[in-house]
Amino acid sequence: MKLNDALATIKGQNQTGSAKVHFLVCGCQPLHLATFLHAYLLQRFPDNRIEILTGLYGDFFGNLSKAADSSAAATAVIFEWNDLDPRLGLRSSGGWSKQSQEDILVTCRERFSRLVTAVQPLASRMPVVIAKPGLPIPPIGHTTRTQASWFELQLEEQLTSVLVQLSDISGVRIIQHSQLQELNAGVSALDAKMELVAGFPYTVPYASIVARTWVEVLYPLPPKKGLITDLDDTLWAGIVGEVGIEGISWDQQHHAQLHGLYQQMLGNLADCGVLIGACSKNELTVVQSALKRKDLFLNSENLFPVCAGWGEKSKSVGEILRAWNIGAQDVVFVDDDPMELSEVQRSFPETTCLLFPKNDPGKLWNLLGELRDLFGKPAITAEDQLRRSSLRAATQIRLNEHQADSSEFLRTLHGIVTFDYRKNSSDSRPLELINKTNQFNLNGRRMTEGEWRAALDERDSFVVVVSYEDKFGPLGRIATLIGARSGPSAFITHWVMSCRAFSRRLEYHTLECLFRHLDVEEVEFRFQATDRNQPLQDFFQHFGVHLNGSPTCRILRSQFLSRAELLPHQCHILNENH
Amino acid sequence: MKTTSQRIAQCFSNVFPNLSLDEIPRASTASVAAWDSVAHITLLSAIAEEFQFEFSPEDFEQLISFPLIADYVEQHINHG
Repeated sequence: MKLNDALATIKGQNQTGSAKVHFLVCGCQPLHLATFLHAYLLQRFPDNRIEILTGLYGDFFGNLSKAADSSAAATAVIFEWNDLDPRLGLRSSGGWSKQSQEDILVTCRERFSRLVTAVQPLASRMPVVIAKPGLPIPPIGHTTRTQASWFELQLEEQLTSVLVQLSDISGVRIIQHSQLQELNAGVSALDAKMELVAGFPYTVPYASIVARTWVEVLYPLPPKKGLITDLDDTLWAGIVGEVGIEGISWDQQHHAQLHGLYQQMLGNLADCGVLIGACSKNELTVVQSALKRKDLFLNSENLFPVCAGWGEKSKSVGEILRAWNIGAQDVVFVDDDPMELSEVQRSFPETTCLLFPKNDPGKLWNLLGELRDLFGKPAITAEDQLRRSSLRAATQIRLNEHQADSSEFLRTLHGIVTFDYRKNSSDSRPLELINKTNQFNLNGRRMTEGEWRAALDERDSFVVVVSYEDKFGPLGRIATLIGARSGPSAFITHWVMSCRAFSRRLEYHTLECLFRHLDVEEVEFRFQATDRNQPLQDFFQHFGVHLNGSPTCRILRSQFLSRAELLPHQCHILNENH
Repeated sequence: MKTTSQRIAQCFSNVFPNLSLDEIPRASTASVAAWDSVAHITLLSAIAEEFQFEFSPEDFEQLISFPLIADYVEQHINHG
């Protein structure tokens, strides 16, 4: 984004939208950093009014404290070497002697330690995204610029160590600097003239890229949930039906290393909780035998389901989506054949279809990077590890769902539902559920991390996090509900449940627990129909609730008791006293 | 195609959204309350980006009104 585009974006902002306040912490004049941050946030939240708070020039640490005391929903931080010791900047003349260098190292160590201390209270209140120094260390030392000096290496060692400490603080996210440099495409970060004239050390393009990255890291797009891969000439080199199981390869020796790298990537994604399925034009028995090869870099247990046959691939993709119970827009399809990609894309326009570049290592490298971006998320939760096994169980439960007495079947699962009423702002799972669940979702409303924390801080609010396990294993935390209690009523603003937990009557248990634990006579929901929340609408209609476009709907205790299905599971409640 | 003056006026309008089109040609640091040091740097940076050149440090102190900026940009473009 150019500076003039950013200014025009800000000029056109919706003045009546609700405010999203952000704090920008830096030691320099905020100038274009603030302008670009404002504009990129407006791009992300076009219906809101964005407000950027800043601190005082030259007071980086004081500004961190101001941010912690502010009403901001999130904070963007950038610091430079001169914020740690002014002698490392252009506007100071404190000396670069050998003795000064030693003193600079001591000062920096002390200031880095102070940085960690100052970020902790800030991150406990709101998400914090930090950009490390992008400006060069002054050309101090006896070496040429191409040879790193001991002094430079000492500073970089201190910096790396402090970034590791900062990244361990819940709520803190560190910008990947190498990605900034790649986006900056060789443009210098330093504008020495502007630093001396205005106290703003960055070139305009660099300021734009830093601000854009801040927003991308603070508000990442929802990650994709599943990847469907082709097998022949994609997961491995060769057509297994022709060359046989021993004839397919994925290693350097057979000039098939690209497939090995791709397998490693899929293995890593599976470890991070991404669903991996396969579809192939092959005989199923041949594919099953090939997937038993012990030298695959991807554990074949991680591939579920595997669809093989001779029909259109879009049919197999549809089958896999049904097994996963997720939407086409949440899935990436990878194939080496452009025709197959096109056929799947035509049936599922919302799916991201990517070509596997079997003969181009450079493009393969880019594909792996793109996959990381499509599936990346700020943190991995325990539920990510449970997803695959719970899907297998869900398939079995769905098969039994339509039996004459499904209540009896559900009882045989020996399910245990836990309702956790304890407020824990550092737990990212409830927010993740709110921001990625579509089908059982009260109104489709998403929340930022700042809004989530603010909701927890409200005096009369309550949050319920629902966990479930049965004889098939744990599903982990699969539902979240946010509301407030007022006299005999509870008002629910958010209610989401993962599709992995469908068909177990957990929504009935949740409502029963609300009536019982909160001892209320009615529950009012801030409901809104969306294109995707039919499962929740079906649930409400079961209780005779009329969803006639009103912004709220309610269920009375008597209404619930008269129509609730048999509740098959054991329930436990956790609150602040437990 | 916009004239140089119109392009400068657009930059003014982006930086000072409350200025009307009539007011912009007469705008100066003395007449526009919002024209503080931060707005000054933002305005000159926006104009430098629009016309693809850089102001020298001395220019920052002298270019304190729309007419002065317009003259400077015209000269810069003509003598390029």
